[in-house]
Amino acid sequence: MGTPLLYGSLSEVYAERSGVMNTAIEGIFLMGAWAGFVAAFLSGGNLMLGLLAAVIAGILTAALYGWICIYLKQHQIVTGVAINILALGITAFFQRVIFGVPVTPLIVQPLPTIPLPILSSIPVIGKILFNQNILTYLLFILVPAANFVLFKTSAGLSIRSIGENPEAGDVAGIRVDRLRFMTILLAGIMCGIGGAFYSIGFLGMFTTTIIGGRGWIAFAICFLGNWKPAGVLVGTLVFGLAEAFAILMQSRGAGFFPNELFIALPYILTIVLTVSRKSFNVPAVLGVPYRKEG
Amino acid sequence: MSSKHRDLLVTNALAILLGLAASGLLLLFLGKNPVTTMLTLFGSLFRDRYTFADIFVKATPLMFMALAFGLPFQANLYNIGAQGQFYIGSVTAVGLSLLLMDNIPGPLVLVVVALASMVTGGLWGGLIGWLKARFNANEFLVSMMSTYVALNFMNYMLRTFLMETKGEYPQTDPLVKSAWLPIFVPGTRLHIGFILAVLACIGERVLKYRKPMGLKNRPDGQNKDDAEQAGINYKPLYVMTFFIAGALGAMGGFTEVNGVQHMLVQGFNPGVGAAGIGIAILANGHPIGMIFAAILFGALNVGGTIMGQLSGVPSSINDLMLGFVMLFVILAYFVRERLEDRREKARLKKAASI
Repeated sequence: MGTPLLYGSLSEVYAERSGVMNTAIEGIFLMGAWAGFVAAFLSGGNLMLGLLAAVIAGILTAALYGWICIYLKQHQIVTGVAINILALGITAFFQRVIFGVPVTPLIVQPLPTIPLPILSSIPVIGKILFNQNILTYLLFILVPAANFVLFKTSAGLSIRSIGENPEAGDVAGIRVDRLRFMTILLAGIMCGIGGAFYSIGFLGMFTTTIIGGRGWIAFAICFLGNWKPAGVLVGTLVFGLAEAFAILMQSRGAGFFPNELFIALPYILTIVLTVSRKSFNVPAVLGVPYRKEG
Repeated sequence: MSSKHRDLLVTNALAILLGLAASGLLLLFLGKNPVTTMLTLFGSLFRDRYTFADIFVKATPLMFMALAFGLPFQANLYNIGAQGQFYIGSVTAVGLSLLLMDNIPGPLVLVVVALASMVTGGLWGGLIGWLKARFNANEFLVSMMSTYVALNFMNYMLRTFLMETKGEYPQTDPLVKSAWLPIFVPGTRLHIGFILAVLACIGERVLKYRKPMGLKNRPDGQNKDDAEQAGINYKPLYVMTFFIAGALGAMGGFTEVNGVQHMLVQGFNPGVGAAGIGIAILANGHPIGMIFAAILFGALNVGGTIMGQLSGVPSSINDLMLGFVMLFVILAYFVRERLEDRREKARLKKAASI
């Protein structure tokens, strides 16, 4: 269950390291989930086509966000809120346009889990880590890759430098706005896939409440993970466990504690962790558009 | 009128029109004629007194929500959790009304319930400010998350303590008539909550520019360090700002429960907080502007609903209109910056040529 959160928070690390918060993350998740489902359903269950559609939807939404926030220098939180509402309207509206009011629920067969030989038979961890679908396995590469790209390559150095001191980066010949736009597009791709995980990777269906604030949790994990790939990995595992625990308690009937408490658990956990987190490694110009002098 | 004010009016009017046009064009996908459908929307607003008054009924909570976002926003604080404060206010209002309505006279019930909702909503919001002041917690994240917690709290209350006596659905028993907010235009649903909302907007305008708190609040918002140097301890201001914002959000819940719904149902008004943010932005953070912006959004809301009943357009058209209008309003900010830039350059050129 942590997979989409990790896609989201990892993409947020790239974007925020370059100085741009991706506050459209909730909307991009939703667009990815919807586009992925529609393409998969209409193609008769072709999930690769679904993923492709999710990526395209993610890129388009991210491009709109990036254009307004990076090139037009408008307020990132406000723009994010607007795009999230728009995404809600667009997905609900076109779901209706395409499918009308369906009598039976629309379902696709979700991505199959592929148990890895030998590894999946390890007790406990084997089932959690090595009996997953392809999107989860892809993360085994993406997390270390993010670490490598951000901290060991010149592109990563450029990204981090424009998140700390864009003026200096500009003088050194980095095209600040363009590089920021690139990281937002990358975030769009990753969040599109993350969103699609909910619809075609797991549930096999789509509703407009399918994301339900999880984009914001991914956003929070980036903060809590101190803007580091390894940090968001740990953060996601904590949340994955919390959510699994919540689902377990709900299905068992929790007795004394109400179900709602467990549904709210990831959100409460976010607040607690936000409060208890002390040393922040915030990119210096996070959320501030870069304006050239003169 | 200064050129700045003219820019604001013209660009925002254009933004609203473009936003409506964009959502109208999407109606083509449903095989509807956008022009006639949109005309039906606006025509139907004036079809009778009841419908027309409903615009102001819908605008009432929106004003409170816009204020709940707008006041902290002036101080560069982000209260994305007004929706949750709205829920807390609603739960308090309905719970306390049900408890008191059979025992004490109606007007007294309303006063007590209003004050209690403001206190619970204020505490719920004030907690965000306190966490920010005490632990330097990110108020954007905390307020965002607090909405989901409030939603689940409301659902829990509706399933247990507040559930109707019949015990069938997650909703409360209806309030008796004495606990309803009085209606001041006969034959409509327009209750005095609307007047309270307008007064709140005017009140915030006064507070912001005249009272000592406003003086403190504004420099704090623009620069924390300046405020510190001027000897202002900004930490209590975080708590106070969020307390007031929470109380305003809760007032939105109270006026909806006691003024319109007269009960509390699960899945109650989920989009009102986000709409409030849109209104605050459209009004450029100006409390008086929020009155008009809220009325506009109220009209879109009523019109969108009627459009759904008349011609089968899905209710998601409301989110589409809201989203597009907000997007174009943000673009209008950019256009205004450009216009201002150009004027500045022209002025400099003129000065240089003399």
